[in-house]
Amino acid sequence: MVTDLTKTYRTPFRRRKVEALRGVSFRVARGEIFGFLGPNGAGKTTTIRTLMSLIKPTGGTAQILGHVLPSRAARMRVGFLPEQPYFYDYLTVPELLDLAGRLFGIDRATRKKRADFLIDRVGLGRARNQNLKKFSKGMMQRAGLAQALMNDPDLVVLDEPMSGLDPIGRKEVRDLITELRDQGKTVFFSSHILTDVESVADRVAIVARGQIQTEGTPSELVATTTISVDITMRVAGLADDKVAALVARGPGKSRRVADELHVVLPADADVDAWLAAAHADGAKVVSVSPRHESLEDLFLRHIGSADSSAAAMEGRV
Amino acid sequence: MSNSASKSSAGISPSAALGGGPLGSIGRVWAIALNTFREAARIRVLYGVVILVLMSNVLALVLGEMSIYEEQRVSRDVGLAGISIFGSLTAIFLGVFLLYGEVQRRTVHAIVSKPIQRWEFVVGKYVGMALVLTVLVGLFGAAMAAMVTYQGGGVTSALLKAVVLSWCEVLTVAASAIFFSSFSSPFLSGIFALAMFVIGRLTPDIAAATETAKSSWIRLVTKVTLEIVPDLHLYSVSGRNVDGDPVSVHGDFVSWGYVATSAGHGFLWIVGLMALAALLFSRRDFA
Ligand SMILES: Nc1ncnc2c1ncn2[C@@H]1O[C@H](COP(=O)(O)OP(=O)(O)O)[C@@H](O)[C@H]1O
Ligand SMILES: [Mg+2]
Repeated sequence: MVTDLTKTYRTPFRRRKVEALRGVSFRVARGEIFGFLGPNGAGKTTTIRTLMSLIKPTGGTAQILGHVLPSRAARMRVGFLPEQPYFYDYLTVPELLDLAGRLFGIDRATRKKRADFLIDRVGLGRARNQNLKKFSKGMMQRAGLAQALMNDPDLVVLDEPMSGLDPIGRKEVRDLITELRDQGKTVFFSSHILTDVESVADRVAIVARGQIQTEGTPSELVATTTISVDITMRVAGLADDKVAALVARGPGKSRRVADELHVVLPADADVDAWLAAAHADGAKVVSVSPRHESLEDLFLRHIGSADSSAAAMEGRV
Repeated sequence: MSNSASKSSAGISPSAALGGGPLGSIGRVWAIALNTFREAARIRVLYGVVILVLMSNVLALVLGEMSIYEEQRVSRDVGLAGISIFGSLTAIFLGVFLLYGEVQRRTVHAIVSKPIQRWEFVVGKYVGMALVLTVLVGLFGAAMAAMVTYQGGGVTSALLKAVVLSWCEVLTVAASAIFFSSFSSPFLSGIFALAMFVIGRLTPDIAAATETAKSSWIRLVTKVTLEIVPDLHLYSVSGRNVDGDPVSVHGDFVSWGYVATSAGHGFLWIVGLMALAALLFSRRDFA
C-alpha cells in the first residue's frame, strides 16, 4: 500500500528540482499481479526505489506486507529485480545466488538447493560456470530474477522485467510471473510496454508524470466506454442497388469486401432496428461486436492528458 | 517444475536473520567482506603494486651492497617504507573506488534492498578491504624478512613491531578513505584521504613548524587540523623521539606496550570513522 508518495530530486549543480513523484497512491492486493504501466520518465523506477528503501521519499508513506517502510522485516519477505540489473561481474550465478542467500540468512544447504532450482528455472543451467561479465543483457535479467527469488518471497517487485528480452524471453518472464502468482505470491512489476502488462496483470495502474492516472483491472479500464458497434454481414446474391440502399440507411460508415459488408455504427445508434431492417432486406448477419476503447487508447489518452492538472487530479486514486 | 522447491520454507530461520542479533549481523558483514575480497583480488593494479614493492626491495639489496656497512639498514628502511607508503596508497585506492563502484554500477541496489543494514554493508566493505591489505602487508613483510635474512641478518622484534605498526597505519588510512568516499566522489575522496595521510604522518613536524608562527590564527587552524586527523605518526616512529628517547628500528625500538597502545588508538579511529561513514552512507539516495 502506497500513500501519497512524493519525491523531488535535487540536481546539485544545476540547482534544478525534478518532481519525479507528485503524490502517488495505490494499493496492491495480496496474491495479485499488479502492472505498473507508464511511459519512460513517468516515475515507475522512482516509486520502486522508494519502496525498496534505496531512496527516501520527500513526502508520503508506504507499507509493504503490513510493515511501514523502511523495514527490514519487509525486505526479508520481498524479492527485487532492479531496472537494467547489474551484479558483481566477477561472480558466477551460483556465487551470486549464494551471496543473496547469505544476506537473507539462509543456511548453506538450503542456499545450494534453492540456487540449483532457480538456475534451472530461469534457464541459466548452461551458463552456470560462466562469470556474469560474459552475460548478455537477457542472461543478466534472468540472473536478476533468480536472485530476487532466493528467499521465496511473498512479494516480488520487478522493475521492467521484460526490457531487453527477445519475444521468447518476454513470454518466459510472463509465464514466470503467472507461475509466481499461482504459487500465492504477489507480483508487482513495471513496464512501459502495454502488451506486456495487458497480457498478465490482474490489475493495472497507469502512471504518467509522477502521478497515477487510473487504476483497475484491464477489463474494467477498457469496458467503460463503447466507441462503436461493428457489424459484418454477407450480402451474396443481393442486387447492388439493394446493398446501396442498405448502406444508405445506416448512419455509420461501411465498406464492402467481396461478398461481405462491414458496417460501423456509432455507439448511440439503434442497433436492433438496423439489424432487423438489414435482415428484412435479405442480408445475413455474420457478427455484431461492440468496440471498446482499447487499453492502448486509454493509455495514450492518459499519457496525453497528464498535462492538464485537472485530468491528473481526477485520475488520482 | 513449478511444484517442488518453492514450497520449501527457503531455510530462513527468522531469528537468525532478522533479530538483528549479533550473529545475523556478523553473517551479513562477512558475506560482504568475502565478496569484497574477491572483487579486490581481481584488480590488476594490486599485482602491479606487489611487483613494484618487490622490485624496490631488490633495488635496496643492490644499494645495500654498495654501502658496505649499512646493507641491512637500507633493506629495513626500504622495506618498511614500502609497506607504509604503498600499503597506504593501496588503502586509499581501494577505499575510494570499492564503495563508490558499488553505487556507480548499481550493484548496491540488489544488496541494500535485501535485509542487510547499511552499516553492515559499509563495515563489510571495510573488513573485506582490511583483509586484502593485511595480505599485502604480510607479503611485503615476508619479502623484507627474506631480504634481511639473505643479507645474514635476523628478523628482530623491532622489525616485527615496525611491521605491525605499519599495518595499523594502513588500516587506519583505509578507514579514512572509506569515510570520505561515503559522501564524495573518488577524486575528492582520494585528495582528502591523501591529505589526511600526509598531515597525519607529519603531525609533529607541522606542529613544530607552526609553533613559532606569529599569527595566532595560523596556530589555531593548525592545532584544530592536527586534532581532527588520525595520528598516523604514531606508526612510523623509527628515527623519531618517543617519550623523549630516540627510537630506531635499527637499534632501540619501542616496546610492545607502545605497539598495543598505538594499535588501540588506531582501532578507536577506525571505529569512529566507520561509524561516521555508516551514518553518511545510510542517508544516501541510490538513484
Ligand atoms: N537521480 C535522479 N536525479 C534527477 N532526476 C531523476 C533522477 N532519477 C530519475 N529522475 C527523473 O525522475 C523522473 C522519473 O524517472 P523514473 O522514475 O526513472 O521513470 P520511469 O522508471 O517511469 O521511466 C524522470 O523525469 C527522470 O528524469
Ligand atoms: Mg524505469
